Amino acid sequence: MNKVLQNQERTGLWLIKIGSGVVVFFVLAIHLVVNHLAAPEGLLLYEDVVNYYRNPIVPVMEVIFLIVVISHALAGFRSILMDLNLPARLQRWIDALLMIVGTAGIVYGTWLVVVIVSRGKGL
Amino acid sequence: MRLFQDRPSWRNFLRWFIPLKRKTGSWAFVLNRVTALGLLFYLCLHLVMLYQLAQGPQAYDSFIAFAKSPIIKFSEMFVIAGGILHGLNGVRIILNSFGIGVRRQKVLFYSLMTIAAVGISFFAYRMFFGA
Repeated sequence: MNKVLQNQERTGLWLIKIGSGVVVFFVLAIHLVVNHLAAPEGLLLYEDVVNYYRNPIVPVMEVIFLIVVISHALAGFRSILMDLNLPARLQRWIDALLMIVGTAGIVYGTWLVVVIVSRGKGL
Repeated sequence: MRLFQDRPSWRNFLRWFIPLKRKTGSWAFVLNRVTALGLLFYLCLHLVMLYQLAQGPQAYDSFIAFAKSPIIKFSEMFVIAGGILHGLNGVRIILNSFGIGVRRQKVLFYSLMTIAAVGISFFAYRMFFGA
């Protein structure tokens, strides 16, 4: 197998990118409406955010949004990097790095959601 | 230096900035990649900035007061525009990938970009002149 073929995107990853893109499209629409259209001057204050997260659907939706948006972003970034036709070994290192960055981002974002939800329980 | 070659290369990155001999499909490709990089940068920034929420109401609300300044709102408009353009361009890519509208790619692209322009104008109006 030559180097160009080695660096091609596999069908599974392509499907993740496309599928997550569709989910992001719809959840982002909700996110934009809540945070930029419904909110006064386009931004929610701390109390508004905490109250918004008291609805049990919101934390679940936001964590799903976090997972799909990070997956989509990193799979897309990988596609852009593949255009540079990097050596296969470097590409493998980049894949590992993207996996670590993605996992760290999801863990951090989920922790943040848990913190906001816990603040709402005291109200 | 060969700037135009078929196989993937880091030199292809330079092609994004060369407007010569570019067709609609190529503009759509560049738009997708440029908005993707911009949105990825914003996503990182957004996640870092949201740490203010964990620091409490004072830290977060003073950050929001700063974010309401015209220059930040103007920058945020770029993010919203990037999101709408990337999203609708992505719809075209998905449809084309499944064989839908392949023969009418140009019409599909311009139609979706018209919807994007309307959406961006609507958000801009609401953000700068809305209640």
